[in-house]
Amino acid sequence: MVSGLGAVSALGPDVAAFRRGLREGRSGIGALTRFASGGRSDRAAEVPYEGSGAPANGSLRLSHADRLARAAAREAVRAAGLEPAMLAEAMLVVGSTTGGMRATEEHYWARARGEAARYRLSRLLATPLSTPTDVVAQDLGIGGARRTVATACSSSALAIGLAAEAIRRGRTDVAVVVGTDQLCRLTYAGFEALQALDVEACRPFDRTRRGLTLGEGAGALVLESAAHAAARGARPVVVLGGWGTTSDGHHPTAPHPEGAGAIRALQAALADAGRAPADVDYVNAHGSATPQNDAIEMRVLRAVLGARLGRVPVSSTKSQIGHCLGAAGALEAVATVVALDDGVLPPTLRVREPEPEWADVDLVADAGRTAPLACALTASYGFGGHNVVLCFERADA
Amino acid sequence: MTDPVVVSGVGVIAAGARGPEALWEVVCGVRQGFEPAGIPGAADATLAGRAPTVERRDVVRTSAGRRIDRLSLMVLAAARDAVADAALGDAEVAGPATGIVLGSAFGNFEETAGFLDRLGARGTGNPLVFPNLVMNAALSYLSIELGVTGPTVMVTQQEASGEVAVAAAIDLVESGAVERCLAGAGDELTPELHAVLRDVGALSSGRPRAYDASADGCVPGEGAAVLVLERESVARARGVRPWARLGAAVEFSVPAPLHGWPTDGAALAARLAPALAGAALVVGAAAGIPALDRVEAASLAASLAPGVPVIAPRTVLGHFGSAGLVGAVVAMLAIRKRTVPPGPACEVPIEPTLTFGRAARPAEAIPAVVVVGLARGGAGCLLRLEDMATP
Repeated sequence: MVSGLGAVSALGPDVAAFRRGLREGRSGIGALTRFASGGRSDRAAEVPYEGSGAPANGSLRLSHADRLARAAAREAVRAAGLEPAMLAEAMLVVGSTTGGMRATEEHYWARARGEAARYRLSRLLATPLSTPTDVVAQDLGIGGARRTVATACSSSALAIGLAAEAIRRGRTDVAVVVGTDQLCRLTYAGFEALQALDVEACRPFDRTRRGLTLGEGAGALVLESAAHAAARGARPVVVLGGWGTTSDGHHPTAPHPEGAGAIRALQAALADAGRAPADVDYVNAHGSATPQNDAIEMRVLRAVLGARLGRVPVSSTKSQIGHCLGAAGALEAVATVVALDDGVLPPTLRVREPEPEWADVDLVADAGRTAPLACALTASYGFGGHNVVLCFERADA
Repeated sequence: MTDPVVVSGVGVIAAGARGPEALWEVVCGVRQGFEPAGIPGAADATLAGRAPTVERRDVVRTSAGRRIDRLSLMVLAAARDAVADAALGDAEVAGPATGIVLGSAFGNFEETAGFLDRLGARGTGNPLVFPNLVMNAALSYLSIELGVTGPTVMVTQQEASGEVAVAAAIDLVESGAVERCLAGAGDELTPELHAVLRDVGALSSGRPRAYDASADGCVPGEGAAVLVLERESVARARGVRPWARLGAAVEFSVPAPLHGWPTDGAALAARLAPALAGAALVVGAAAGIPALDRVEAASLAASLAPGVPVIAPRTVLGHFGSAGLVGAVVAMLAIRKRTVPPGPACEVPIEPTLTFGRAARPAEAIPAVVVVGLARGGAGCLLRLEDMATP
């Protein structure tokens, strides 16, 4: 059961703002102001630092990624109505790719310039990727298992699946799952060097797409066993019906050209949920807007959904909040849950002309749209070929 | 449990040793695991536990592996050794029935520093290096090199990264999602990381003195270990003699300062006590770091049965995020050899009631060993390894 949601994104500081932005088709993508891009692209989906006047290098003891994670987790736990005693037994799983790297890289360069003769512990301790996990655990009083997952762009989707599995196997009744990442020069420069960034705001599934737009933020979900929810009188609207994860075993960055691993992940998620392709009402795609990913992803959806693909809406939330890397899985899961809850399809922005191969696909262009939704998939495909698909369903479906 | 998860293959590389037998020699003091760190700017007396060099041509078989980074190479070497030790052929490992769970505290630190150097100097990043910087680079390389297309997971939990990886791997095998799972961890020592440890005062002026009131720091290390986990029936069907049976991992969180060690030994003892019941040997997390050693010693003194020996492999192998998994290999060697390894050379024990052996000694049996994984920030993970002969 999904009993609580949290979200901090370029669409706003909470789930309400996220919800509104999805429905209204707003774009959180704008100019990159955090640092000089050093390349052709200068677009990003930024989330303002907590508090005004926060230093651009995130030099406060908690990194921006830490604070985003904390904010999203707090919102999700509050929404779920969890009591401290429940949190003391709960599991925490966090997905991230770079954590507090922004503060680390600035301090690293300052030291190289001779401006910081000794490493300050607080700066370098932003380096361990598990720091947001520790921050959230401490803030919420989590007493159960604590895991940090890092499989690039599928990190927090995988975190959701692992947490769900732990609940299913009786290792915990409650799990708080968070995905968090913040913009940093290392990542921005890396994708720029790979020529994977669009110079304009990204255009997933559009014929003229040129690459992704990076974003930042945090998403959080509280997952709970049905028995635990029932015992405390909680009535979640949406459940995680099933999930699947596979690997391509193909290439460090490029996806399998036929999407073999992604196809199996999709099939596994449906099988785990006891669902058939005919049951799928909506797909929240990985939709990163790179020429290669979008083409392969549509190939995958065609292979699994068959002729029905033309009747199943597919959209990319990355067109609104950018590619939030380690936070993408969780934020897009929140978008999918909200879609099921509200009966409103999130849109894909800036699709002027789809590729001929998927001209028949409803990409929910430009703005959200009401629709009867009972079962939805969200896909996350990570660098290195780590594929995760989650299948959410309305509890009353 | 009717068909428990067992360890059917082991690969390890750390402290100048590659392979379980070489590691045992280091643990028992037959060979030296530490060498001069050789870090520019470091004092001559600075020691480190270096992993032996792995030649790329010996373990890399795919074109994608041409660009493999040093850490991933270490982990891949340990993985190939583990697969061979488990008598698994390439065709058996490849495919969707195999999963991989890896852990690391810092990932590819060396190339990250190099990337930042270039980015700071030139304003641009190196596209050939960037793919290696993701924390899951080693996971990706392993899946490519071994042809694994099942579930793959990368975890990071600082000093407990290896233990958490094993816990997640046990879950995968028990869920039936995979027939076998490679559970591994690796961390590398680089000049930058050494400088961090030195500048924050974490390094010992000599050799680490675990659980000792006079301890002044750790000796840093690096290395990797990979275990092959599968159901006992599957291992036996292949004619393999498992190393050990895995009990349920115990994962928990205890209060701790952010980035600091827990300070409440009683709270930690409450978590350890149930898991330590019946343990004949404990592999501690201690590394000569005063705050860590103090809280662990206090918690063990409060929760461990009298006379149960405690060892601290990090004092001879080096301290690094994945060292706990190397410690698990030591635990399995102790079980198989029915020998309690030497404990830490403790002159002024923090807790006089704890038992530390000075030298290796034979034991009639070692039915169960508990590996204590503790991380800064308060995460904990205990692994229980049991002798296959124990019912």
